Amino acid sequence: MSLKNKLGRMKGHMKLDSQDKNNTGPETKTIVNEKIPFIEKWQENDTTVYWFDNQYCFIREVRYPINYRHGKYSFKELIDVVGFWNKSPLDHPLSAKGLGAQDLFFFDTETTGLGGGAGNTIFLLGYAFLEKEAIVLRQHVLPQPGNEIPLYQSFLKNINYDTLVTYNGKAFDWPQLKTRHTLIREHVPRLPEFGHFDLYHASRRLWKNRLAKVKLSAVEEEILGLKRESDIPGYLAPMIFFDFVERKDPEILLGVMKHNEIDILSLITLYIHLSRQILQVDGYGEETLEIARWLNYLGKTDEALETYRRLLTHGTNGERITARHAIAYQMKKNKQYGLALDIWLEVAESGTIKQKQEALLEASKLLEHHYKDYRKALMLSSKLLEELEGLSSSSATLVQNLYKRCERLKRKLKASN
Amino acid sequence: MQEMIAQFKTDEKHLENIVHWHTIEPREASSVPFPERMDETIRKALQKRGISGLYTHQATAFRAAVQGKSLVAVTPTASGKTFCYNLPVLQSILENEKTRALYIFPTKALSYDQKSELHEMIEDMEADINSYTYDGDTPSNIRQKIRKAGHIVITNPDMLHSGILPHHTKWVSLFENLKYVIIDELHIYRGVFGSHTANVIRRLRRICKFYGSDPVFICTSATIANPKQLAEELTEQDMLLVDDNGAPSGKKHFVFYNPPVVNKPLNIRRSAVLEARTLAMEFLRNKIQTIVFARSRVRVEILLTYLQELVSKQLGPKSIRGYRGGYLPKQRREIEKGLREGSIYGVVSTNALELGVDIGQLQVCIMTGYPGSIASAWQQAGRAGRRHDEALIIMVGSSSALDQYMIQNPEYFFSRSPETARINPDNLVILVDHIKCAAYELPFQKGDTFGRAEIMDVLEFLTEERVLHQNGDKWFWMDDAFPAHNISLRSASQENVVIIDQTEAPDNKVIGEMDTFSAMTLLHDEAIYLHQGIQYQVELLDWEEKKAYVREVNVDYYTDANLAVQLSVLEVDKQKNFSSNEAAYGDVSVRAMATIFKKIKFETHDNIGSGPITLPEVELHTNSAMLSLNPEVLAWDDNRMEQGLIGASHALHYMIPLFVMCDPNDIHVYPQVKAAHNEKPTIFIYDSYPGGIGLSEKVYEKVGTILKETRNMVERCQCESGCPSCIGTDTASQGSKKDAILLLGLFAN
Repeated sequence: MSLKNKLGRMKGHMKLDSQDKNNTGPETKTIVNEKIPFIEKWQENDTTVYWFDNQYCFIREVRYPINYRHGKYSFKELIDVVGFWNKSPLDHPLSAKGLGAQDLFFFDTETTGLGGGAGNTIFLLGYAFLEKEAIVLRQHVLPQPGNEIPLYQSFLKNINYDTLVTYNGKAFDWPQLKTRHTLIREHVPRLPEFGHFDLYHASRRLWKNRLAKVKLSAVEEEILGLKRESDIPGYLAPMIFFDFVERKDPEILLGVMKHNEIDILSLITLYIHLSRQILQVDGYGEETLEIARWLNYLGKTDEALETYRRLLTHGTNGERITARHAIAYQMKKNKQYGLALDIWLEVAESGTIKQKQEALLEASKLLEHHYKDYRKALMLSSKLLEELEGLSSSSATLVQNLYKRCERLKRKLKASN
Repeated sequence: MQEMIAQFKTDEKHLENIVHWHTIEPREASSVPFPERMDETIRKALQKRGISGLYTHQATAFRAAVQGKSLVAVTPTASGKTFCYNLPVLQSILENEKTRALYIFPTKALSYDQKSELHEMIEDMEADINSYTYDGDTPSNIRQKIRKAGHIVITNPDMLHSGILPHHTKWVSLFENLKYVIIDELHIYRGVFGSHTANVIRRLRRICKFYGSDPVFICTSATIANPKQLAEELTEQDMLLVDDNGAPSGKKHFVFYNPPVVNKPLNIRRSAVLEARTLAMEFLRNKIQTIVFARSRVRVEILLTYLQELVSKQLGPKSIRGYRGGYLPKQRREIEKGLREGSIYGVVSTNALELGVDIGQLQVCIMTGYPGSIASAWQQAGRAGRRHDEALIIMVGSSSALDQYMIQNPEYFFSRSPETARINPDNLVILVDHIKCAAYELPFQKGDTFGRAEIMDVLEFLTEERVLHQNGDKWFWMDDAFPAHNISLRSASQENVVIIDQTEAPDNKVIGEMDTFSAMTLLHDEAIYLHQGIQYQVELLDWEEKKAYVREVNVDYYTDANLAVQLSVLEVDKQKNFSSNEAAYGDVSVRAMATIFKKIKFETHDNIGSGPITLPEVELHTNSAMLSLNPEVLAWDDNRMEQGLIGASHALHYMIPLFVMCDPNDIHVYPQVKAAHNEKPTIFIYDSYPGGIGLSEKVYEKVGTILKETRNMVERCQCESGCPSCIGTDTASQGSKKDAILLLGLFAN
């Protein structure tokens, strides 16, 4: 039996997912230096052809005036926030201190599959940056798998910036770029080193409670005041690209390119917005509490405390309690035990379940160790123990420790009587 | 222990059941001084452990490996095989800090074990060498460190296949400096799993070439007939065979034990399971560490239930444990540790414990039935035997033909070389799977081969299927899938059924998984599934979703399912004609369907009920050997012919694993009175795996010998007119045994 025949026969065992793949399009073999299909249509869409080593890729470039408004802000506010960072004493992961607005490189890719892996091909490298009085947006497009040398050659010789700004680029886009670059590293320039602002992580910190999924499109809609019209969902990008490779008509790909373009523009708006929140340019806002937590997490105690204090005057009831609870920890650290205890006794009455538990525990500790008021400490600890034992989700070690604490308090109480 | 053995030997109740008592004399060590090239650091570490020289095989392996020669070391259990690879690898890292090595173990359990051993060695050396296991359980926060800085990366073929090779760009420092690839337990890589792994190694070598490395392969294998050939087929490298074993061993007693006949006309013997239980109990009561091997998961669970009931009061409930695939890794670790430390006295295991998992050496090994291959029997036997103590190994024969043949022909077992391990890396289904993975990893170029396989046709086929894209003279991956995720190296049908316990609904728990082909007969609705000695009944097998929902029950029976088969010949590739018969080999299409199941009572093994199984038919394209008889030779009516063929098939099915290293489940034997393709009485012997993995081809090649031995086996059987030990009990007529012998003789002419 010929191999071809066998292949046909064994097909059922091979898990080939041949949906629509069998209505064969035109032959796709490429001849070097061929005439580029649909070249006029590409040109009509701001795209030029880049040749390298007898292979080509496409580069599309459009410019937006600096006053162009995308969502909540116009692009010129990028210059303002970079200025704020430079003036602020705050040392923060998203700080542009020492940089100019023109040093930021807003970057996003489109790929042929999900997840990282050597075979997941990047077919679109898109980026935007500030140049004089405009935002320049460029997209390098792969005409078909295998034309990656011109793609990366054109990309790498064009970039000379300090810091990448991406949405989940630390986990996805940049590693994937490195992967694909490794495969052709002998033929193209080295990858430069970059700083990297990943706005996905920042967005998660601020909005994970507000948004069901902290996707860029959700952030756009809920936070940045942007609504996309007839957008192509990202998950369709691979299929669309494969279709384009078969049929070559740029019309097919334009939707994906538009999607990528908006993603990148939104990165600019999002960076402006995040910077304004972190630097609290606009005073108290919905994000203030999360900002305070973030500062606290970063070890910026003074800035965190200051932000919590702001919540005391402007925040909602819940936020005020959260802020006081956080401030109490700080006071304990500063040995202001009386103030801390007062707050915790209050939080133990009116906080959320978790805050109540924490406050009871902390108050009990203070009473035991600093005020030697074993009776009251025992009362609070017993109350907490009772509550925890009623919950199925309580951590066993916590309950055990608490039990020990109660026993110890009982002993101490007895001894002191 | 010596007393115990003497007592066992003379005990009257065993006397008539002991068919053969074979004593293996202790062996002295054969050692040589450390090789000159060996680094001082390693010498010191070894001396610290009281080792002042190497066994001959270790020294041979060391010298060959450091000179860059690939090798396969054949070593019995507990002969210090890990030194065969650890020493040259450590030596090379000491000589050049950049050196990297990749250790491949067939299971996670083994890699865990080897890591601890390697760590101890490195600690003793006080050297700055990093070794890590990299598998599905590796936490993501240390993965990056392993990729960059691990001198020795320990993994399994599955992880290499789906977790490392597709991400090779993250492993640049490993692949650029890869000097050694270790393949431990080589003999496990046979059949489907071996054929897959051979292709994974093709991919590995392709990636190494891309990064400019060309690693040396060091394999270790249990005794099989063709270790060198298997290693060469698996790695496509020339191999040096290292078999000058210099390790010492204690005295061993190997006993063939045949349960008494309980039904004379049918030649039915007492169940091997029950007999093994009785024997195991005797030893366990005396607190002698005993391992009992059973052939199937079901038998493990049955034995476990029996033994736990009987002995747990005396020794404590956790002193006897089960061990098999399907248990969670944590449970396994706990059992292994308990055995090493002696807190567990008894373990009942499938062949999962044949492998080099370190459980220390036990004192007694009981095999419930012949383990299916000579190689396997020696592996299992190796579990018993401490260096300075005597050990007892008991093989309890079951009623099956093969078991009875072995038990009654001990000289055959002790004189015969073990089986041949077969792989077929060019099986089209498997090859195409891995070419997809390989194309995902790196594009193919015109003129490329894939190992020794010619692949231009496959590349064109995949291009037509729109999986690859041809650009000039190169082929690129063009699909949104991650191909390795859909390809399992281990199971035939590529998709596993997850077993979900809903006893405490809504708190459902996943307790294990099983390949779909086995699931047809083991996880159908109403099947009794046993796990850790607990019986579960399958309440629903959701075939579409590949989920089996089970609930704990307490019943006194187990279930056994039947599979119905339809077969047609697609093409005959090879043919030999003889005076009265012909033998052929070619492609067939098989359609199989689970039909009914029986409920069988424990202890008595009575059939106490049955029910239908409604699962869709599964179609299989595979290879088959076909033995046909010229119809004019025998003027029998169809019924007589059918009975004769069924009997002959039954006997053949039992004997084939003697010649081709496989599980009886890896091949099927199917008779037809009038085969559609040649209208002759025909016996088909086909591979269970789509496309075949070389088993039926081997049967075709060796058909004369196989038929002759099978005929001898049936002839020598002591039954009157057929029994489960020879031609089975599916035949109804009195003359079937004679007819089967006649047929086997005619086929062999």
